[in-house]
Amino acid sequence: MIELKNIEKYYSSKGIKHYVLRHVTTTIKQGEFVSIMGPSGAGKSTLLNILGMLEEPTYGTYEFLGEDVTTLKERKRIELYRNHIGFVFQAYHLIDEMTVYENIEAPLLYKKVAGAERASRIADLLDRFNIVAKKDLFPNQLSGGQQQLVGIARALAAQPSIILADEPTGNLQSAQAEQIMELFKKLNVEEGITIVQVTHSEKNAQYGSRILNIADGVVKDDITVASV
Amino acid sequence: MFKLNLKIALRNLWKNKTSSFINLIGLAIGLAACLMLLLYVSYELNFDKQAKNSENVYIAMTNVPGEGNKIAGTFNGTTTALGPLLKQNLPEAKYVARMDYGKKSLIANGQNSYKKDSKFAEPDILKMYDYQFVYGDPKTALNNPLSVILTESTAKTLFGKTDVLNQSVRYQDMENLTITGVIKDLPENSSNRFDFLMPWSFYGIVDASAKDLNWNNYSFVTMVTLNPDVNIDLVNKKVEALVKASTPQNGQSQPHFLYKASKLHLFGKFENGKSVGGDIEQIWLFMGLAFGILLIACINFMNMATAKSEKRAKEVGIKKTIGANRTSLILQFLTESMVLTIIAVVLAIALLELMLPAFNQLLNINLDISYFNTVSWVGILGIVIATGLIAGSYPAFYLSSFNPIQTLKRRISSKGFLNVSLRQVLVVGQFCFAIILIISTLVIYRQIQYIKNKPVGFDVNALVEIPQDGELKTKFDLFKTEMLKSGAVTSMYQSSVSLSHRGRNFMDVKWEGMINPINTVMFNQVATSYDFIKTNGIKLLKGRDFSKNFASDTSAVMVSASAAKVFGYKEPIGKKISIFGTNAYIIGVFDDYVWDSPYKSNNPQVVYLTSGQTGAITMRLNKANNLQSNIKTISKIAKAFNPAYPVEITFVNALYQEKYKSEKTLGILSNLFGGLAIFVSCLGLFGLVAYSAEQRTKEFGVRKVLGASVANLMQLLSLSFIKMITIAIVIAIPISYYAMGKWLNNFEFHTNISWWIMPLAALGTLMMALLTVSFQAYKTATSNPVDALKYE
Repeated sequence: MIELKNIEKYYSSKGIKHYVLRHVTTTIKQGEFVSIMGPSGAGKSTLLNILGMLEEPTYGTYEFLGEDVTTLKERKRIELYRNHIGFVFQAYHLIDEMTVYENIEAPLLYKKVAGAERASRIADLLDRFNIVAKKDLFPNQLSGGQQQLVGIARALAAQPSIILADEPTGNLQSAQAEQIMELFKKLNVEEGITIVQVTHSEKNAQYGSRILNIADGVVKDDITVASV
Repeated sequence: MFKLNLKIALRNLWKNKTSSFINLIGLAIGLAACLMLLLYVSYELNFDKQAKNSENVYIAMTNVPGEGNKIAGTFNGTTTALGPLLKQNLPEAKYVARMDYGKKSLIANGQNSYKKDSKFAEPDILKMYDYQFVYGDPKTALNNPLSVILTESTAKTLFGKTDVLNQSVRYQDMENLTITGVIKDLPENSSNRFDFLMPWSFYGIVDASAKDLNWNNYSFVTMVTLNPDVNIDLVNKKVEALVKASTPQNGQSQPHFLYKASKLHLFGKFENGKSVGGDIEQIWLFMGLAFGILLIACINFMNMATAKSEKRAKEVGIKKTIGANRTSLILQFLTESMVLTIIAVVLAIALLELMLPAFNQLLNINLDISYFNTVSWVGILGIVIATGLIAGSYPAFYLSSFNPIQTLKRRISSKGFLNVSLRQVLVVGQFCFAIILIISTLVIYRQIQYIKNKPVGFDVNALVEIPQDGELKTKFDLFKTEMLKSGAVTSMYQSSVSLSHRGRNFMDVKWEGMINPINTVMFNQVATSYDFIKTNGIKLLKGRDFSKNFASDTSAVMVSASAAKVFGYKEPIGKKISIFGTNAYIIGVFDDYVWDSPYKSNNPQVVYLTSGQTGAITMRLNKANNLQSNIKTISKIAKAFNPAYPVEITFVNALYQEKYKSEKTLGILSNLFGGLAIFVSCLGLFGLVAYSAEQRTKEFGVRKVLGASVANLMQLLSLSFIKMITIAIVIAIPISYYAMGKWLNNFEFHTNISWWIMPLAALGTLMMALLTVSFQAYKTATSNPVDALKYE
């Protein structure tokens, strides 16, 4: 579903190019669970951002669902966000002014999902993530793990085909982190949602099916995780 | 979606209480000021427009020829002969009605007597203005000469009820009139207001000059309703031709033209016979003020919103990644500003209702929120929507343009340069406006003071006048003897007009050694009695006052210094002049004094002695007695002479105070709204500083731990704002200097812009701003650094 060819990203300052990514070429298939790993500053997040079309590569081509999306009109990109891509962030990035329920509802509103359908989907998600009792609370009334659950529920609300997660457990305690990773795995296995996550943790990476190791902007290893 | 937006907008308002409060108060004040001024403007704009066909009602104007082929002046007085001429020969004229200017006259129901505004008019006036008859028939109400139409409130004052048809009232203690109509009170914003209206035919009985058709007494008003859709230029050509054909033409002939009556109030200034504006300029000024204050409030909103952008940026970023497009974000931000504006307008209307009585008292008018008609309400709705849009648009477009990845990474500073500078521009603009208003206020105040302090040419203190009514007209000499005997006054005289007013304008004057065959300078004449100069104390430059010792004084005149100058006399005493063909000798020259407008020099004046022309009695109080007892004595004697009339004693200095009214209004309004503008600007500044302090709490904490003093920190926070105010001062001073210089040039007598006004305004604003900023800066700077550093 994702085809990256020779992706490069650099910033130039005073005539010197600072490479963040070099010659990244890879394919991610439907239903894969990919973990991008590497030391700080290796370009993991940049790669994820490029996958999420939040940044444009300086060079190279990117095909999403067989369509060239290297440079995309804003309208078209929003279309993809509404229907295909769900984001999960390290800092959760819930909207502070909205309740749990409204946060999950927001993408459906943008997608113009009808009221009844909306209500049933949200009820389903709240139920699945065990946060029914919290639906009228605001994000700052929740623990970090609960906030991230809401974040994932929101990402799932629009029924995306891929979830892009930037260190989804980076701010969490290990117990909560495990819960989140289990959830990702379940989503991947049971619902076939493609997941790409950036992580520092070897342990978290083991939940996935494949690991991309990046260092200094270059893909060093591409390992398939042996299923346990 | 909209419901959610609304909910979130309200939550946001509630969450950021300081900024919501500042925005709300600012917008409410801005809107209230705007509504109040618009109320005033709509009152003024609807002047004389109450009648259905007011668009077709015209008033005959007269051009006064001046030197060269110029027109020296234009006024709304006409002769008695013009009306009938137009009625018979102008087919476009539907109705023609002659009127007098109206004056205060006595009207009595038995012992119950009052002085009320009276007017004489021809019956057509009832068709021109659709007065609402409560009782009586408009078709016949003015047919009988001895009839009168009362307004409801007049009927109530006289009879205690309004159902008074066919009852009789006594006019000026000389004639009984039958009430043939009672009409609803006339609106305040009408030039032809009266408390009772009498037929023109009765005027002919009271005043012979109204009866005969003449072409030389311009003391009457001619109103004409033209057929709809006529071309006024063509009609005016016809009018000119008609008048030319029926009057002898010479250099003093005064051509007439018709002018829309409803325009006279606001477009009443004529130059060379052409309308060149008038009070409408003030209306524009007030509208500018109104929208200026509103704009300041809008700028506050924009500044606060963009200052908060860092906070909002995250929200924008998230929303974009979950599929929000720009339109939906813009809509969301606009919803927020609209919600705020709507709350503000409710507050504003409450404020307006609350402040209106005080405002009315200040301006001495009677505004009411009901002056807003349906159209105005639609207009207000428009203003609200426009305000919401203007206030919300910049934040909406600005915030919604954020790139999600940058905002989520908290890296918007790279793009922030332009945004900060625009915010600065807005703040500078706000304060520019405020400073210009302060300077204008000061200059207007100085100008009023200057005119007030300018000597009027005589001692206005201890000088009183009473109208010369009833018995006082015929028994003046006896009255004078009694008064002087009582010791309340030291001297007194009667004259055709009050000392503070213009007498009759005329040009028919010839003098010895005249160069031109005919005089083209407008003169002014006042008829008086003995002791003119002795009483009023005008400076006598040459010669003497009228005196009983000279029997020949009946054909003597005193002239003003400017008249002597027009005549070209070095030694004017004893020179012969001829007025309307009657010879007179100059016995005295007095210094020019102030009458009519205190802002310009007056035309030359001739004062002559006659007992026939009565108008006002002027008296110099005896300073040996106290004021109260003097007034009491005068009242007693006047009442004894003239029992039918109430005694009205007016202090001449009060009459002169009256003359500053329009500039005083201007002064009050610019004071009031200038103050508001500064307040709202400071409110915005406070919000910005508060926000910037909040953002820098951590930085300040660190700095304090590193050893920065409170003063260091205050300086850090205040300096950038003070810089903006300074720039505003630098821009505002030349603009206001130029604008006020132009305004002052409108007056023949005007003060100069004193050098100290500019620094005073600048320092004042700077102080206000410094105070605002320091308050917040001090609060932040003295807070405990631990509190700040605990976060994160």
